[in-house]
Amino acid sequence: MAELTYREAVAAAIAQEMRRDENVVFLGEDIADAGGVFKTTVGLLDEFGPSRVRDTPISEQAIVGAAMGAAMTGLRPIAEIMFSDFFAVCWDIIANQIAKSRFMTNGQVNVPLVIRTANGGGVRFGAQHSQSVENWAMMIPGLKVVAPSTPADIKGLLAAAIRDPDPVMFFEQKSLYGTKGEVPEDDHVEELGTAKIVRSGDDVTILALAAMVPKALAAADILAAEDGIGANVIDLRSLVPLDTKTILAEVSRTGRVVTVEENPRLCGWGAELSSIIAEEIFYDLDMPIVRITTPHVPLPAADDLEDHAIPSVQRIVETIRREVD
Amino acid sequence: MDIVMPQLGETVSEGTLTIWHKSVGDTVAANEVLFEIGTDKVEMEVPAPASGVLKEIRVEAGETVGVGTVLAVIDDGSAPSVAAPSDAPKAAAKVEPPAPPAAALPIREAAPVRDKSVKLSPVVRKLLAENNLQPGQINGTGRDGRIKRGDVLAFLKGAPAAPSGDGRTVVPFNRRRKMTAEHMVRSKATSAHVLQAVEVDFSTVEAARRRAGAKWKAKEGFSLSYLPFIAKAVCDAITDFPKINAHVEGESLVAFDAVNLAIAVDLDFDGLVAPVVRDAGSMAVVDLARAINEIAARARRDALGPDDFAGATYTISNNGTFGTLITAPIINQPQVAILSTDAVIKKPVAVVVDGTDAVAVRPVGVLAQSFDHRAIDGAYSAAFLRRLKEIIETREWAAAVP
Amino acid sequence: MAKRAKSKAPQKTKAAAKSGKSRAQARLNDDIGEAKRLEMFQMQLEVRLLENRANDLFLQNLVKGTIHLSVGMEAVAAGCGAAMRKNDYSFCTYRGHAHTMARGVPMTAVLGELMGRECGLLSGKGGSMHLTSVEHGAMGSYAIIGAHLPIAVGAAWSAQYRGSNQVSVCFFGDGATNIGAFHEALNLAAIWKLPVVFVCENNLYMEYTPIADVTAVENPAADRASAYGLEKIIVDGNDPDAVYRVAREAIEMARGGGGPSIIEALTYRHLGHSRADPGTYRPPEEIEAWKKRDPIPMYRQRLLDYGVAEATVSGIEDAVMQALDEATEEAKASPTPAIALADTEVWADGGSSWRN
Repeated sequence: MAELTYREAVAAAIAQEMRRDENVVFLGEDIADAGGVFKTTVGLLDEFGPSRVRDTPISEQAIVGAAMGAAMTGLRPIAEIMFSDFFAVCWDIIANQIAKSRFMTNGQVNVPLVIRTANGGGVRFGAQHSQSVENWAMMIPGLKVVAPSTPADIKGLLAAAIRDPDPVMFFEQKSLYGTKGEVPEDDHVEELGTAKIVRSGDDVTILALAAMVPKALAAADILAAEDGIGANVIDLRSLVPLDTKTILAEVSRTGRVVTVEENPRLCGWGAELSSIIAEEIFYDLDMPIVRITTPHVPLPAADDLEDHAIPSVQRIVETIRREVD
Repeated sequence: MDIVMPQLGETVSEGTLTIWHKSVGDTVAANEVLFEIGTDKVEMEVPAPASGVLKEIRVEAGETVGVGTVLAVIDDGSAPSVAAPSDAPKAAAKVEPPAPPAAALPIREAAPVRDKSVKLSPVVRKLLAENNLQPGQINGTGRDGRIKRGDVLAFLKGAPAAPSGDGRTVVPFNRRRKMTAEHMVRSKATSAHVLQAVEVDFSTVEAARRRAGAKWKAKEGFSLSYLPFIAKAVCDAITDFPKINAHVEGESLVAFDAVNLAIAVDLDFDGLVAPVVRDAGSMAVVDLARAINEIAARARRDALGPDDFAGATYTISNNGTFGTLITAPIINQPQVAILSTDAVIKKPVAVVVDGTDAVAVRPVGVLAQSFDHRAIDGAYSAAFLRRLKEIIETREWAAAVP
Repeated sequence: MAKRAKSKAPQKTKAAAKSGKSRAQARLNDDIGEAKRLEMFQMQLEVRLLENRANDLFLQNLVKGTIHLSVGMEAVAAGCGAAMRKNDYSFCTYRGHAHTMARGVPMTAVLGELMGRECGLLSGKGGSMHLTSVEHGAMGSYAIIGAHLPIAVGAAWSAQYRGSNQVSVCFFGDGATNIGAFHEALNLAAIWKLPVVFVCENNLYMEYTPIADVTAVENPAADRASAYGLEKIIVDGNDPDAVYRVAREAIEMARGGGGPSIIEALTYRHLGHSRADPGTYRPPEEIEAWKKRDPIPMYRQRLLDYGVAEATVSGIEDAVMQALDEATEEAKASPTPAIALADTEVWADGGSSWRN
């Protein structure tokens, strides 16, 4: 085991996979020489050289388009889109081409690529560099969607994504880049589509993703100490494939569920999960399903405004206190 | 104040209210004529026992009701009495007990809850319906008195059922109870139950148990009881008497090669389940002990699945822990027989020592088998029991334990 | 390399020299050769006859939705197809029947797909606009203008990385030269010197609008080449031999590590943008003039001029028609796809499940 930051774990995962498989290649803006604007890919150019680790122009459509063409013809490319907000620039390639080609050709075409990106807010970058858009990807049939919350999961899930034969949208939360955690040093691969119960409890299940997981855990500690409420926190880790078995079993068992989502309110990932829960285990619910989300606004830039918008530990605690009886 | 039908004669049990002299809402003075009644012997006027306002008329003119029935209610400023009114003339001795409050009577179907202030969550509704409960029976500890899931579960687990205040405590059957009730009645109605018993000397088994001793408990986490030995002996006896390990299907006896042994487990006085140890005949005593312990533990944790109940061919009901002498068990349908093991206690028994009769103290217990006389006769069952007794008393059990 | 900038006005065919058989034979056995020419003639014919047949089937309501026909433009696909190796990659647009067939995809599969049948190239799941045959190197027909250019660049990158000597050829229309993805793709291909050949079929109309009205330069593809450090190449898109020569040179340059090219082939479609379009936005004289330059009769005549026997040529025509008739019947007889196909092959495991 080694202690790595969340950002270091990205490079560690890519390096692990590039060593294992010479078909893994990597392209993006400022990823090679500069080691990534978030310093997530430091050292890769030195180890693997400029034919495998390539800096591109500012050309999001070309980046993901080229990744698709390479994936269709035998390589396993990783493409970086610097900020997830920029998916809007190349969304045609992702939603119409990468996601649909296998189905339209009835399985002739394979697109084993990973598009990784820095997602989410909390760092005062303003509305066009701060949105959480994993829900955009979740809505498109044909894309797998992963969003880890810890350095160990970054390494394990990114490795799994690279090995996955389907297109994977890999969301790194930029507010977590500096966080640290124990990461297995040797070959570490997790499984996509598996959620993790990161804190066990009997009174209410909290479904959280990425940067909302540590906030949910902090809220759970306060609720236990001050209110005697035992929160059962689940780190979803993947939205597609979705570990509905674990989610439904835990919500059934506790009878209560709350989601904590960084995306804006409408059609956030929690809306879909709420629907599944209401449809499939309605008769096990002891409380209405409650979603805690960023309100339906673009994210403001100033400290206090942004902190007010993105779900905070305090808001999670207060909501659960109010709803759980 | 309740106005009741008075008793007009010692042998009179009912009367007809013939005329009301007052209407609802009228002021009534004490001793003023309130109504008239008639029996087959006499007619008379009945005065009001107190002053007040006639609040309610429950029996109309022309109706015939039993003595002691509440006819009307006068609001005289006092609380309405529920018990038999003591001022009805000579009525106290023959008054029928009043009907108990409606809330305690279990109603077959859950009535729709019209009161919007009562918030019942989906899981609470489900639990109430499944267990034939009314919301009124449950103490709600949630916000604003809401009934939470935990409140219903606590009620079901045996937080004592609330007494209804009239000397009765009503405990409606929960689902498991209902299923057990149905099965037991059906079993009795289906099989021609006959009970046969043998008294068995458990000395050799006892020696083996002592040999296993505290070391076994320390290693395995549970004590080695008589039951695994009995279960092993049952399986071995069955090889000589295969028709014991069978089902009755229509007009046939269907015997099975494998012994899938159901072990009845009591769940802390909250019901009975009989999960199955599959292919018990292939297991050694120590394996049977572990298997029995495992399913009993899972049963108490409510962690049994449908596979744990499927395919049983014979059942053992272990009642001995409570010290009983003998139990006549009810057959676990559609099996042909069931064995009860009761308490093993030290008793004086007749033995032969050096050719002479003597008395010795031995651990002795009764094994009683109920069998279905449609499919098996007494001689066969008895022969099986004889063989069972023989195995238990004569086998070298010490060799079977570590 | 020879650059022949031609005007958009249709040109008259050079009449074959009436002097001796030897001159004709010399032409026939030039750098292209008889076999290649017959291959290109047959390919154009197959496309033309199939598309006319598709038109008829559409009128019989056997082909659904809409189809984008390239009647009159067959020479570009045939010429480029003839210059490609079997394991090269090609990418084309939703008007892609010709380019797909030029890679060797059988007629039954194409007609079956247009008719939404089980025998279709995509089992009825993609339709006319998405014809793909990975086994033939036909890496897809794309319905979003310009999207496949960066994808074709990616395939070229893959070939370069693997050192496989494969080339990626990307077909698109004049309208695509104004979309962002075009520029991103050319720029990336140029800076990484990738083995990709971009072929712009300029049929003078971006859907219903004259391309000249919406493009800042005269030659929508060729005049953008210099922005990416590439040569300006314009070719008569109705002359398969011309197309073949230009394509061959560009493809072999790419194969040898010389980087990308962009070729602008001037051509014209006889029919509307799609089956729904009667094409009345084009002046009738223009249509007539271009129809006189129909590549197939022109090429037929050239073959005869070069000394190919009439019997050979008509033999090809008969064979193609017969093959087309058989393919039509085969496709008609094929059942509609099994309903189960509606939710298969989203993922590599063949399924479409998003949950456990």
